[in-house]
Amino acid sequence: MTTGARLIDPNESAAAPQSRQIALDLARRLPAVVVAAKEIAASILHGVHGRRRAGSGETFWQFRPFTSGEAAARIDWRRSARDDRLYVREREWEAAHTLWLWMDLSPSMGFVSDLALQPKVDRALTLGLAAADLLVRGGERVGLLGLSRALATRDIVDRLAEILAVEAGLTREHDDLPPAQALAPRTRAILIGDFLVAPDTFADRLRTLSSRGASGQILMIADPVEETFPFAGHVEFLDVDSNATLRVGRAESWRAEYERRLAAHRARIADIARAHDFTFVVHRTDRPASEALLALRARLEAGSVYGAIA
Amino acid sequence: MIGLPVAFVAPLALIGLLALPVIWLLLRVTPPRPERTPFPPLRLLLDIERRDETPARTPWWLLLLRLAVAGLACLAFAGPIWNPAPAGEGGKAPMLVMLDDGWAAAPDWDKRIAFAASAIEAAGRRGAPVALMVLSEGAREPTLADSAHTLDALRAKKPQPYAPARLAALPAIESFAQAHKGAGALWIADGLEAGDARAFAEKLAHLFGASLDFASEDRLPLALAGARNEAQGLIARVLRASPASAAAGRVRASDMKGQTLAEAPFVFQKGNEAEAKIDLPVELRNDVARLDIIGEKSAGAVSLLDDRWKRRRVGLVSGASADVAQPLLAPNYYLSKALGPYADVREARADATDPIGALIDDGVDVLVLSDMAIGAPDVREKLDKFLAEGGVLVRFAGTRLAGSQDDLTPVQLRRSGRVLGGALSWETPKKLGPFDEKSPFAGLAAPDDVTVLRQVLAEPEPGLPARTWAQLADHTPLVTAERRGKGLLVLFHITADTTWSNLPISGLFPEMLRRIVALSGAAAHTAPAEEELSSTDAPQKAETFAPNRTLDGFGAFGAPPGNARALAAGFRGAGSADHPPGFYGPSDALVAVNALEPDANLAAADLSGISARRATIEQAQPIDLRAPLIACVFMLLLADALASLWLGGGLRGFRARRASAAVAVLATLGALAFHAGDARAQNAPPPAQQPGAPTQRDIDAALVTRLAYVVTGDPRADEASKAGLQSLSRTLAERTSLTPGDPVGVDPARDELVFYPMLYWPISATRPQPTAAAVQKIAAYMKQGGMIVFDTRDALTQRPGGPPTPEQSWLRKLLEGVDVPELEPVPRDHVVTKTFYLIDGFIGRTANGQTWIEALPPETPDTANRPARAGDSVSPIVIASNDLAAAWAGDRYGEGRYPLVPGGARQRELALRGGVNLVMYTLTGNYKADQVHVRDLLNRLGH
Repeated sequence: MTTGARLIDPNESAAAPQSRQIALDLARRLPAVVVAAKEIAASILHGVHGRRRAGSGETFWQFRPFTSGEAAARIDWRRSARDDRLYVREREWEAAHTLWLWMDLSPSMGFVSDLALQPKVDRALTLGLAAADLLVRGGERVGLLGLSRALATRDIVDRLAEILAVEAGLTREHDDLPPAQALAPRTRAILIGDFLVAPDTFADRLRTLSSRGASGQILMIADPVEETFPFAGHVEFLDVDSNATLRVGRAESWRAEYERRLAAHRARIADIARAHDFTFVVHRTDRPASEALLALRARLEAGSVYGAIA
Repeated sequence: MIGLPVAFVAPLALIGLLALPVIWLLLRVTPPRPERTPFPPLRLLLDIERRDETPARTPWWLLLLRLAVAGLACLAFAGPIWNPAPAGEGGKAPMLVMLDDGWAAAPDWDKRIAFAASAIEAAGRRGAPVALMVLSEGAREPTLADSAHTLDALRAKKPQPYAPARLAALPAIESFAQAHKGAGALWIADGLEAGDARAFAEKLAHLFGASLDFASEDRLPLALAGARNEAQGLIARVLRASPASAAAGRVRASDMKGQTLAEAPFVFQKGNEAEAKIDLPVELRNDVARLDIIGEKSAGAVSLLDDRWKRRRVGLVSGASADVAQPLLAPNYYLSKALGPYADVREARADATDPIGALIDDGVDVLVLSDMAIGAPDVREKLDKFLAEGGVLVRFAGTRLAGSQDDLTPVQLRRSGRVLGGALSWETPKKLGPFDEKSPFAGLAAPDDVTVLRQVLAEPEPGLPARTWAQLADHTPLVTAERRGKGLLVLFHITADTTWSNLPISGLFPEMLRRIVALSGAAAHTAPAEEELSSTDAPQKAETFAPNRTLDGFGAFGAPPGNARALAAGFRGAGSADHPPGFYGPSDALVAVNALEPDANLAAADLSGISARRATIEQAQPIDLRAPLIACVFMLLLADALASLWLGGGLRGFRARRASAAVAVLATLGALAFHAGDARAQNAPPPAQQPGAPTQRDIDAALVTRLAYVVTGDPRADEASKAGLQSLSRTLAERTSLTPGDPVGVDPARDELVFYPMLYWPISATRPQPTAAAVQKIAAYMKQGGMIVFDTRDALTQRPGGPPTPEQSWLRKLLEGVDVPELEPVPRDHVVTKTFYLIDGFIGRTANGQTWIEALPPETPDTANRPARAGDSVSPIVIASNDLAAAWAGDRYGEGRYPLVPGGARQRELALRGGVNLVMYTLTGNYKADQVHVRDLLNRLGH
């Protein structure tokens, strides 16, 4: 049985160009992801429910008299012209949530099989950027964990994609876990990846992240081949992150054991996530991306902590 | 192998087949390379303890494929041969291989050589010495040698262009058989009886008994013999020996330089003889020097033609006044009947003032004057010149000759005829005497029933017998001849009709004339022979022709071989070893010798009842199967490599369609390699579409007479032309017996014009001039008898004496490249005004314009008072200016479409009448100008 499984070329991935053609490859590939992310975000935005959009950050709050010593630029001359006093326009003070986004760019994310719609890394990028767009339009600030500060610009997708591209060009080895840094209290993190790591390492990293009280979502991307193990006959498996190989005489006889182990691994990861106040969602790349985004949004709004498979 | 005609060169290699089960076991336990696949969650599995498991087995089809590869490779190494050459029997006893090498063996000479070689090789494998004997070298004693030397000798053999004389070889064979008792013999026969095949075979059976093999070919060769140059064409006799041979084919005629002049098909119906008729004009036919059957490469399939096959032009002049009503009384009737089958007979035109001069100018080879006195000195001069340049002048006597003082005769004539058996004669009618050996008529039988009632007599004089070609039983000269310059003067002392003798209605008469006509071409180079013939006391000198170019056995021209001997004059026979077929003599007077006699027939050798083993050459073609097998192995290996790649996931990078394309390419390459071994190109090119093939439009145009107009590109003019011609066609169909088809618009540059009797061409000055090629076509159309009606449509704008209108200038420019005859305004008595209606002129949308037509010849007193005059042909051009088509054009109800000036239904009717007259003039020409219509015309004109 051939599954058509393969690893995409590093240059093929949206954010992992390794050569001088960084800009070129990104130009070729990112727009599609960016457009997909925007489309999905828009469909979620309009598809679920309406949201109060007016007044976030731009609204007028009050005029107050100008006090000497202030910068003259702050004077609202139109109002001041009405009488003899000078006024300063004050806006509503806005404090947005800050969300940190992390997407796994490690080699194992480059896996794609014939059953999948796109490589895992592309799906992760699409979902991450779409979530960023969605959140920024909802008034939040979004940053890339370890790569950028939190931004709330309208072109958040393009900005983040740019940063990712630069980062991908600079770094050759991508860690398969988010950077170990303690997030500020009450911030949230969205971690997207395949999390095919040792559960203990994962627990350590998550503990560090949430040590100051941050919470968030974990979105596990899985290829359908990884879930169903549709191999048969004589197969030699190659590991992606290391040089390990496994030659199997009759792959079909390994399926049950693999499924058991995969379930155990997932359960472990989910447990760890729950323990650190993270939600846990599994998303398969043969499903539409909007499905996962919808689930993600629901979790973010609910802020509840439970695992589900979207 | 059992049941199959397969043998192996190295049968030991077949032991390798025993290894197949081992290979099978090995393949079963060593599976193909596993599918390699990346798998990110692998680390979940890495720590599972390794279970002891056998890998998946090799798929059965891959197993089968590999076994097939191994098996086929084993077979290929064993060197299999399909249809192996028979090993032959006879152990180490010597063997005699006899090879027919006449022309009949040439078409499949390679196969015969291959067969002989395989037999010799087989003998060599047995260790038996072999003697080779080609039957054309019959007298040479066969010598035994080992097979390698004999093979070399065999490969050097070439077929001979004549039939082998097998019996001549028998003594040598007999002595061989006696010297080597128990020797085997193989006769590779050409299958024809020619050369005493049956007698030869019987003798062989007697000599060699049971150890005799015959090999022959089922498909017997075709041959050409006895071409005849007849009035209707050059007829070639195609012969075959048995119905098993090819049933149809083509004969090619080529000239002395080898250029093909014509080809003609032949089909055998019943029997073994067919005819191919090469239909060429006489001038070209006389150039034919060689006929051959296409695809038959043998000297027998070639017929060489020399001067004897040329068709002579014979001119007939009779002194009698032409009386067509009673042909049996005219001498020319008998002459043309007798000469017609093999010569081109030309008679002077009845009204020719100088028939002899006209015929000589016409280039006749033979001039026959029957009962004509030559009086005028200029005619005599011409005849002398004709004779001096090699012409043959044949004269027949008659009352006019007998009574005239004419010395253009070979012998002195007594000025009174001799009457035998008449009322005033004591003697009975005389019969013909036998022909002298030296006479050209030698060999012809003189029939008893030919009698001579009356003749002119020769003065007895010295040399008269030598000039006599034919005589009566009492030695009275009947035909005398004499050389004059290069030419020949022959006198028949009788008339060419039956009044003096019944010779002209006997079968001998055409034969005699034929011999005389045949002398005409050879007159120049046979002059010495003729002199010898005319002077008995000259020493006998053998005239010979050295070989010039001879045919080899395959029917190709080459230098004559060393043993070719010069040909005696008068040689008539088939080619032989001494005289191989070919051309003999000097280049300007070649004599052809052919492999077959003109009346030859082919007969298949009947060898039934003779005890010998028989083989067919065709079947015995051993085919080496090694190359195709190895190609097969190679292809299967490729397939195996692809399959392994696929099983190992190596084809992942391929798109599916790319992979299948690659497989297709590989399969094609393999197939090509497979067929390269015995690729024989026999694909005939598909009949190509001929460039000049008629289009559907042309076919339609040729089937129905229709009017046509030239599409100018000016939409208004074209619409008017179309509507006008439609209306005119309708009128023609209603009023005349002509029912034209729908009118068409033509483009002179593109369309074929020849189908349209009349072209209507409205001039539109704003349109560009047609191309030079189109103008040429227009000119050719006018020359071929077409008529173009140009309509300048400018009657309203042109002024007498004023500058030419733009339309006129345009037309003048167009006609610069055309040969336009002298024109005149249509005269009142021109036939075009009388062809259907009696009209005064051609009226169109306007009525005042002038119409021009080819000027008639000036009036003669004979034609002065006729109401209608015409030239010899239809005027190729009519130039009108009244916009005819617009006046013709009408709607369905007959109402005019365009306003007329001055107007009225009468004007439209007159316009249509003019149109009808134009069409009728085009179609009937000067018919209405004939005298017989004068009375009717005058009657009608009077009213």
